[in-house]
Amino acid sequence: MLKVENLVAGYGKVQVLHDVSLHVPQGTLVTLIGSNGAGKTTTLRAVSGMIATQSGRITLNGAEITGLAPHAITRGGLAHSPEGRRVFPTLPVADNLLLGAFTRVTGSRPKGDVARDLERMYALFPRLAERRAQLAGTLSGGEQQMLAMARALMLNPLVLLLDEPSMGLAPRLVEEVFAIIARLKSERVTMLLVEQFAAAALDVADFGYVLENGRVSASGPAARLKDDPAVRAAYLGAAH
Amino acid sequence: MQILAQLIASGIAVGMIYGVIAFGYQLTFATSKTLNFGQGEALMLGSLVGLTVVSFTGYWIMLPIVLAFGLVQGAVVERLGVRQAIRTKSEAGWIMATIALGIIFKNLAENIWGRDALKFPSPLPEAPLSFMGVNVLPMEVVIVFGALAMMLLVEVFNRRSIYGKAVVATANDRDAAGLMGINTSLVITFSYSLSSMTAAFAGVLVAPVTLTGAAMGGALGLKAFAVAIIGGLSSGMGVVVGGLILGITETLTGYYISTGYKDVPGLVLLLLVLSFKPSGLFGSATIKKV
Repeated sequence: MLKVENLVAGYGKVQVLHDVSLHVPQGTLVTLIGSNGAGKTTTLRAVSGMIATQSGRITLNGAEITGLAPHAITRGGLAHSPEGRRVFPTLPVADNLLLGAFTRVTGSRPKGDVARDLERMYALFPRLAERRAQLAGTLSGGEQQMLAMARALMLNPLVLLLDEPSMGLAPRLVEEVFAIIARLKSERVTMLLVEQFAAAALDVADFGYVLENGRVSASGPAARLKDDPAVRAAYLGAAH
Repeated sequence: MQILAQLIASGIAVGMIYGVIAFGYQLTFATSKTLNFGQGEALMLGSLVGLTVVSFTGYWIMLPIVLAFGLVQGAVVERLGVRQAIRTKSEAGWIMATIALGIIFKNLAENIWGRDALKFPSPLPEAPLSFMGVNVLPMEVVIVFGALAMMLLVEVFNRRSIYGKAVVATANDRDAAGLMGINTSLVITFSYSLSSMTAAFAGVLVAPVTLTGAAMGGALGLKAFAVAIIGGLSSGMGVVVGGLILGITETLTGYYISTGYKDVPGLVLLLLVLSFKPSGLFGSATIKKV
């Protein structure tokens, strides 16, 4: 569904990703783990067009999206719940969610039933239902994270990119976020998950990639990566 | 007392014009953190185009034509003067570019309509109405309500329609808006269009009361900029109040002190606001994250 081949990207003259290839097949949950600065967020940003790619090829559902503007990539069916949540603070929760479906309401993606999907999000994230009229800027960090995920889901995306959904959350909320990711997986939502909680990410994922200094250093079925001694030592906090 | 009331009434009409031009500054600042320093020239062009059209169509049919002209003129300013600066994240390129475009528009107008002030036919009787001894021109009433209606319409559009929400989203967080599938470059072009449209509208509102001409834009654009700073570049309420403050102090100073000093109190207020509340009387302070 999403294919990244030999991606080279960075910020200005600083090259962050040297040669990244990964594949997210339809209906699977793939996770990208690695230490801080390894290039996880940069990979997602390059995929969704937020930063320019220097070389390489990205395809979404068979169509090339390399070098397109973010809005064009979204119109192709890619949703990105970005690092730092990035909700629209001066708009109510309900409007944030509606904007997630902007391309559907305005006709550049199949419309479906936007009202029903809104209710689905409120069922999936009951806290948002309670706060639907509240400005997003007044939500707690955990609630903003739920909103960012729900807003991305409102696209009915072919692929959902999730960047560090657990960042800065209390342990109980981290569990809640992972429970929702597991539920989305059971609904066959295709996802690429970036996480620093590598153990939790590998527990829920089908397949994993390990990113090290802008290169993929290991990949394989999530269960196997979890048992890989090198991965355990570097990312899962196992004793050396 | 009656003179005071009269002066305040005149100040309100002038102030609403400042307010609606300042509102135009806010529109582009919200989405792109840039302003059209040729906003006064957008007003002047709208007014002069209106003057030419009005002789064929009459005042009320001229209005939508001038509004459409403003939309196009604003898009031209954004494409030629601002887009490149935004793309290269230039901090100051747009300032000089929009000033340059303003000068070009002014020269163009001087060559088409001449350098003299021109009379703009009033669509309404020019005899003043009397409210409790205060004389008000019918056109001044139209100015106040027209300006308020324009701002209200934009506000309703932003709050109610999905496209308006896309504009607000772009103003909140341009990157995140792009991820929603919103073409944020187009939103910025649109905000420039809307901004010039409000200026052109202000131009044809004020022209029947003052005069029109290639030179009318400079002072109005600058004073409206002061209003935008006094009221706050992020507050819709602020520009109305700021405009009224400036308009009324001007007419009062002009009468009680000297017309030679009528610009001084407003500008002193501007300096005070910049010293003590730089985000404007009604603006919310934002901390720029770097």
